Amino acid sequence: MARNAPDSFDAVSLGILWDRLISLTDEIVSTLVRTSFSTIVSESYDLSCVVLDAEANSIAQGTMSIPVFIGSAPVTARHMLNRFPPETLKPGDVIFTNDPWLGTGHLFDVTMMRPVFRDGRIVAYTMSITHLPDIGGTGFGSAATEIYQEGLRFPIGKIADAGRIDERLIELVRANVRVPEQVVGDLMANVACNEVGGRQVLEFMDEYGIDDLGPLSRAIREQSEKAMREKIAGLKPGIYRNRIELEGLDQPIRFACRIEVKGDRIHVDFDGTGPCVRAGINVPFCYAHAMSLYSIKTLTLPSIPNNAGMTAPITVSAPVGCILNAQPPFATGGRHAMGHFVTPLIYGALAKAAPDRVQADSGMMNLVTFQGRHRNGRGVSTIYFAAGGYGALDGTDGVSTVPHPSNMAVVPVEVWETITSTTIERKNLLPDSGGAGKSRGGLGQEVVLRNDSGSPMTLLGMGNRTQFPARGLFGGGDGSLRVHALDGVPVNAKARIEMPPGARVTVREAGAGGFGDPRKRPVETVLSDVLDGFVTSKGALRDYGVKVDLRSGTAERVAAKPKAAAVHRGAKGKRA
Amino acid sequence: MHRIGVDIGGTFTDFALFDAEGGRMAIHKQLTTPRDPSAAVLEGVATLLARSGVAIDDVQDIVHGTTLVTNSVIERRGAVTGMLTTEGFRDILDMGFESRYDLYDLRLRFPAPLVPRRLRAEVGERVRADGSVERKLDKDSVRAAVTRLRSKGKIEALAVCLLHSYANPAHEKAIRTLVAREFPDLYVSISSDVFPNMREFERWTTTTVNAFTQPMFDRYLKRLEDGLKGQGFAGRVYIMTSSGGTVTTETARRYPVRALESGPAAGALMSAFHGRTLGLDSVLAFDMGGTTAKGALIRGGAPLKKYMMEVARVHEFKRGSGLPVRIPVIDMIEIGSGGGSLAGVDERGLLRVGPRSASADPGPACYGRGGTGATLTDANLVLGYLDAGFFLGGTMRLDKAAAERAIRAAVAKPLSLTLARAAWGIHEVANEDVARAFRIHASERGFDYRGSSMVAFGGSGPVHAMAIARKLKIPRVVFPVGAGVMSALGLLASPLSFEVARSRRVHVEDLDAQGFAAELARLIDEASGFLKRAGTPASDIAVTLRLDMRYQGQGHDIEVTLPPSDDLAATFRALPKIFADTYAETYLVSFLDEPVEIINWKVEATGPAPVFATGYSLGEGRQGDAAAAVKGTRPVYLAEAGAYVDVPVYDRYALSPGASLAGPAIVEERESTCVIGPGDRAAVDARYNLVAELARKED
Repeated sequence: MARNAPDSFDAVSLGILWDRLISLTDEIVSTLVRTSFSTIVSESYDLSCVVLDAEANSIAQGTMSIPVFIGSAPVTARHMLNRFPPETLKPGDVIFTNDPWLGTGHLFDVTMMRPVFRDGRIVAYTMSITHLPDIGGTGFGSAATEIYQEGLRFPIGKIADAGRIDERLIELVRANVRVPEQVVGDLMANVACNEVGGRQVLEFMDEYGIDDLGPLSRAIREQSEKAMREKIAGLKPGIYRNRIELEGLDQPIRFACRIEVKGDRIHVDFDGTGPCVRAGINVPFCYAHAMSLYSIKTLTLPSIPNNAGMTAPITVSAPVGCILNAQPPFATGGRHAMGHFVTPLIYGALAKAAPDRVQADSGMMNLVTFQGRHRNGRGVSTIYFAAGGYGALDGTDGVSTVPHPSNMAVVPVEVWETITSTTIERKNLLPDSGGAGKSRGGLGQEVVLRNDSGSPMTLLGMGNRTQFPARGLFGGGDGSLRVHALDGVPVNAKARIEMPPGARVTVREAGAGGFGDPRKRPVETVLSDVLDGFVTSKGALRDYGVKVDLRSGTAERVAAKPKAAAVHRGAKGKRA
Repeated sequence: MHRIGVDIGGTFTDFALFDAEGGRMAIHKQLTTPRDPSAAVLEGVATLLARSGVAIDDVQDIVHGTTLVTNSVIERRGAVTGMLTTEGFRDILDMGFESRYDLYDLRLRFPAPLVPRRLRAEVGERVRADGSVERKLDKDSVRAAVTRLRSKGKIEALAVCLLHSYANPAHEKAIRTLVAREFPDLYVSISSDVFPNMREFERWTTTTVNAFTQPMFDRYLKRLEDGLKGQGFAGRVYIMTSSGGTVTTETARRYPVRALESGPAAGALMSAFHGRTLGLDSVLAFDMGGTTAKGALIRGGAPLKKYMMEVARVHEFKRGSGLPVRIPVIDMIEIGSGGGSLAGVDERGLLRVGPRSASADPGPACYGRGGTGATLTDANLVLGYLDAGFFLGGTMRLDKAAAERAIRAAVAKPLSLTLARAAWGIHEVANEDVARAFRIHASERGFDYRGSSMVAFGGSGPVHAMAIARKLKIPRVVFPVGAGVMSALGLLASPLSFEVARSRRVHVEDLDAQGFAAELARLIDEASGFLKRAGTPASDIAVTLRLDMRYQGQGHDIEVTLPPSDDLAATFRALPKIFADTYAETYLVSFLDEPVEIINWKVEATGPAPVFATGYSLGEGRQGDAAAAVKGTRPVYLAEAGAYVDVPVYDRYALSPGASLAGPAIVEERESTCVIGPGDRAAVDARYNLVAELARKED
């Protein structure tokens, strides 16, 4: 390509330069993964890397970035540049913070930013965000009642000054966390990947003869914004509301939203949402904002790369002090446990605006921490993960045991038994757990674990959907509820449970909501579900009005109207 | 003595005949016969031998690579397969990883299990993680389940998948014995035999792939061997595996899953062979065909390997959308960019190429078979890189006007571009996509490709190689002889080999030297056994020992290759240091003060390298300088000039060793075309490879 790239780009050059920038951030991500100690970074990809232009507009983000990091980078960057104005920055400076209100919502995430200098002036910034293995305090979870209990909180500062690491800061971290080598290792991995990132940006500019990223940044953002505005304009305009209830500490917590789709813009407001609680599940606004952007992106332009242009047509607000705009000193360690419900809240509200795109509620995932002693004498502290069903969409059944909107990967039975010396007696799908519908909700599952370690174990749960099921859309039924039980007796899914040797814990994961009227589901599809055991014969008759004769392998629709067991709900977009 | 390599691809079946004594090579290509692929093999072997004047009883062995197994999974054309699992775990195949591979696409798709839930049954038994038995096998439950699956489900094959069978295979073996005795017509695959690794979802899925493809592959091999025998062939047939080694047909029948992706593996292996003969330490193998491009990284003469692949991806070639299979496999990237990839406008309003493909049928618009979509091949034709009159050596005429119409409609018009700019954009976006995939792949593996060389092959590979190399700052591209039948040649370069990998999770501090040596000795015996049964003397068998190790508590293992040594006790003493060194190389970080575990134990037994060489001419071997090989000139679009320029076109077969040429130039051979850019230079080496050096940037 010719030197001195032009200020305007055609569909060929813009696409190539843009993709190259994204690929460059993906390479920074892979450097980060390879230099990190902790599994959280390398296995769960709980991280992101971003390239920003000289005005701190984000122009490219690593492809695998998890939802929470969308749209947060430019905000954090502005806070950082207010504290350290660009003209005061030197090559080799690295600014960092883990402040929940300036970054991504809890102390575990550290954000680092480094200016990229070319011929003595700043041409770009690179930024990385990772979830640290520990930050001191009460540890990962929702146990804290105030932020002060949750660990170290670093206001915006420099971890490296002109290339020199602040050793006192490192010592401070080392003295305050449980796994100092891993935490310091991950901090250094962030420093290193930003340095690599800076080199990559300079190489990119040299390769394509770009002296100023400004015009390219503008073109990328304008193109993204235009594409997003076109998609929004295709939605049915109007004001949409939704209210949901979630399980809180003692009493339910209410989430509410009012979404205005007007022309090519969307505004989300969380007015009506309940107050903060004295547990580490409060959600700083940055997190609620990111989850809102994520939800709208999945309904409009899922494949568009994340950048400042794509988010421009979407604004979000929340009353100060509500649980989606938590203020210090409320604790936020488990802000995701609540924050993930922003997605079903928004999908429910926008059902009428985008009926062919929205998803019925998912059963969501469940994390249970197991602490105890392995039969071989070594300590055990590990998280069991299991997913509920995935919500149905128009024309598409929900997949069984797939989480949404969060993401993890299962620990195989064989690995789990090896590392914990517990035995998993069964792990099977729950027939009829998926909400009925023209498209069926994904199934939940049942897992039975027996403590064979010979020592007592402690279980820490954060389970949801034990009172409020995953709801169906447009006449689709609700999914089944989540249940935790000890030796057959139901227990609080958020409680601390003591599990004596030989005891059994049962975890029944929630099914997902169905989509559309179950009477419109083709008889042969219902039959196939019954033959595979995803739906029982009883369930087929009750929920679908289909009578199945298993002996002959045939089925017919009998009832004009099934005796609905689950609460069906129309697409009113509004619901208590 | 002669050896033949035969590689079945989607469109063509390729043949290579090598004369070990005379150092002569002949190649042949003919259309694949999808209904019975052995028909093309038998016919092609006969044709090639007749043309070369070689008698079939002069052929010692035939090495065979095929996409048959892969295709049968992709097209779901395998046996009706049943499955037995430990009681309580029938649904593992439906649950999968419980993870989304795409965070934003709500309509992401997952592949359906090869065995539907109604054909899975549970049996009473339980083995613990340490291999001890908690509940003895209930044989009556096995009988009842198999009887029912056979009578109601009409199964032809059975996958037996029990928990922790990698630690104790007794129950799976007992079921195999029982079924063989009482249901002798069933094909049975047991998971502890197919690939005894921890992680039930992957091991069981692998076992279902094996079971699903076994009857078909068995019948195919029988037809093939009978047919060859009928022609008078008295030698042996070997089957290429995905790991770059060959096995006997007996072993292939037992493990058809190991023959997944055997054709591409052979191509990567051939690239490694070229790298070794040319003294290149690190090589990028680049293969671009009709629907996809493939790449592999080669270090120190051997392609990088891994133990996990995906087959039959159902969602835009996305990682995570296929069936996970654990087998030893050459670590390859697959990109949805090939000659048939369709160009269009993406969600951003910009140009995108692939992963949707016009495939071979109807194919690119220029094929004139009814395709109207604008493909990469259409762009390459419009740009002058391809010649409408010399496609496949002139056997297939291309319709340039149709290509122009398609590109105008799909790209130029909606994006307000000139025809030439649109065509060049399609070409260049494909180059970028491939370069990006290589960059990420290399970066994830800590492979520094700058200074490497690229070996380019496949129908479209040589058209794009120089431009991609330029993007990757790779200084040299090798266009080997016979790039159009690269996999068939690679088959001839592959040694007999077999790898076993068993999970046994143990802390290093809980082991002693004796136990360590004994575990490896068992695996060495098992792996070597496959070669010994094929007639390889023990003294000719080399073993490579590898361990998957990790710091306790870390989620990812790293593979540690043990130094070759007969003293395993000494190796054991050095193990902490070997691990720490490998860890530092992989993760660029220092030592952690945590206990170290071994997860998987892997032993690869390899026979002697087959007699094979390059350096043959496939043409008339005319002497003379490059000028004599110029067929003419044609207008070719050069991005540097932003215009069409008359460029000389060379006949590859008329270029002999020593000939050199300067870009811009087009070098045509029957199956492909090498595009050499302005400022680049290319020369034919003593082995008839065309070796191109990229122009150095002046600044």
